[in-house]
Amino acid sequence: MIEGILVGLGTALNPVNILFVFAGCLIGTFIGMLPGLGPMSAIALMIPVAASLEPATGIILMAAVYYGAIFGGSTSSILINAPGVASTVATSFDGYPMAKAGKAGKALAIAAYSSFSGGVIAAIFLLVAAPFLAAVSLSFHSADYFALMVLGLTAVAAFAGKGDVLKALLMTVIGLMLSTVGTDQTQGVPRFTLGLIDLTDGISFLLLVMATFALSEALIAILKPSGDNKRQEEMEASSNLGSMKVSGEEVREMAPVIGRSSVLGFIIGVLPGAGATIASFLAYGTEQRLAGPEKGKLFGKGSVRGLSAPETANNAAATGSFVPLLTLGIPGSGTTAIMLGALIGYGIQPGPRLYIDQPAVFWSVIVSMWIGNIVLLILNLPLIPYIAKVLAIPSRFLLPLILFFSLIGVYFVTFNTFDIQLMVLFGLVAVMLRFLDFPMAPMILGFILGGMMEENLRRALLINNDSWSFLWQRPLTFAILLIALFCLFAPMIWSNVQRLRKGADRAGEGG
Amino acid sequence: MLFSKDRIGGVLLLAFCIAYGFLSQNITLLPIQAKAAFTARTMPEVLMVLGIGLSLLIVIFPGVHERPQLAGFNWGRAALFLILMSVYGMTIRPLGFILSTSLFLMAGFAMLGERSPLKLFLVAVPLVVGFWLLMTQGLDVFIEPLPWFLKG
Repeated sequence: MIEGILVGLGTALNPVNILFVFAGCLIGTFIGMLPGLGPMSAIALMIPVAASLEPATGIILMAAVYYGAIFGGSTSSILINAPGVASTVATSFDGYPMAKAGKAGKALAIAAYSSFSGGVIAAIFLLVAAPFLAAVSLSFHSADYFALMVLGLTAVAAFAGKGDVLKALLMTVIGLMLSTVGTDQTQGVPRFTLGLIDLTDGISFLLLVMATFALSEALIAILKPSGDNKRQEEMEASSNLGSMKVSGEEVREMAPVIGRSSVLGFIIGVLPGAGATIASFLAYGTEQRLAGPEKGKLFGKGSVRGLSAPETANNAAATGSFVPLLTLGIPGSGTTAIMLGALIGYGIQPGPRLYIDQPAVFWSVIVSMWIGNIVLLILNLPLIPYIAKVLAIPSRFLLPLILFFSLIGVYFVTFNTFDIQLMVLFGLVAVMLRFLDFPMAPMILGFILGGMMEENLRRALLINNDSWSFLWQRPLTFAILLIALFCLFAPMIWSNVQRLRKGADRAGEGG
Repeated sequence: MLFSKDRIGGVLLLAFCIAYGFLSQNITLLPIQAKAAFTARTMPEVLMVLGIGLSLLIVIFPGVHERPQLAGFNWGRAALFLILMSVYGMTIRPLGFILSTSLFLMAGFAMLGERSPLKLFLVAVPLVVGFWLLMTQGLDVFIEPLPWFLKG
């Protein structure tokens, strides 16, 4: 492990890579701060740039953008109560009341220290967990990988939220369907190309991600009526931050919260499907319960604990979500799905062999997480008052620029104008589906895992003489599939149990 | 609610899954693979069944009964932007990067309410030229800057 850390340090401390960590953190903070644009859009916008870099540098850049975007999201949550990212919604519960009370600077500082601590502690866990899990997963067969991918997809759908399980599952299937477009890998026959030569290589991952996130976000912002008053409010919020000092008493109050929320966030992040959003809400709820009646009352009114818990947990979860990505090659969230796509674009297959075949990539990603968190702290704290000015850029200039960067990012990869037209079409469909509240992240996950899933299933069948019996005869495969089934049905069973319990309570009250 | 968000989305995706299912039957199979357990059609057929099943479930048992809110949005402006992006895709090659992108950005800014021609020009053109310089000089990506009638 020490050797690995040295390899990682050697790569991550390369001046070029440090420069890209700085750039990534800054760009990520800028993009994450813009309401509507989250880490997924930020990373998607960076893929064309990352593609022209060395694999380790490209991944370091994207990881830095990821952290930066989460940090930026919390800034807009605190200053204008408009979370740029779902995972910072819980941050706004106490951060915004603090800002309204004239303590915006303090709220931003607490958020920065908590994010830093959560990220750094979780990176230590990652350092221990990732090589261990990678070593275990070396014994996995194709059948187990197929089962793991099924688990990853069902877990994402299961954590989709109240009443959204079916929609998330359907969107996952749509993503899998889109992954089958192009030339079949083994037979070499075209599938769903509609006779178009441009589709024989399949749909570009970058195109789908850009259209689904960046382009559709900008189009939705164009659709919404503009609010000049809100802009004015945002400009005022970004100019009056107040002191950024955190008192000793507040630090003592934050410390245990950071410890608990880091562990909780990391564990939630490792689970496929659960992510920074769930982690932040769970940490918030846990701290509220642990705070006792007196301190608990302060939650939602500017509590230090209420701000620190979700901020720590979302960063820890973001780091935790790298565990399944780096060790099993299975993205645990939409954001890591985009990173997986980018890695595959480099010709790097994340999985148990990554830390053997590409140690520089594996370790430098982990080491760069520490560097990224330190950079975020030392760069963003003094710069926040200036970075926050981005909230004041008029949307009439910002939105066409986002559209331009999305379109040109895709065009520069293939120089094929067909891609721009296809992107416009996907953007339109994405806007429609988002208006109807259909989630997009499961579709991206399905799209990314589709090809690998089909390949592993085909290989497993080949090894097993065309018999499907490996699904129940191989204990590991069977166990993973059972967990997948549990993930799928647990939310439905849980909601029915709750309904029954409520019904029983009501009956009890009535009697 | 008959036309709830879930139902409308479910019907749209059901149509997509049915079309996908029809197209999956056009995938060519090699004679020797016709009886194999796994062919180029296997995955699409499984997905078709899953897709149709799930979209039917959403249509029959919608989780959300809320109707989509269509009023109060700038639908026309969004449609114009879609057209603008499509036109940009068609003009980027014949008009060259600098001219087509500058026109795209200026049109976009104007459509969102910027009325000063000077501001349109001063924001769009230096940005496009700067971006072009960054890509060509900094990252070594060749992009044709000029329209076809100005090329030698």
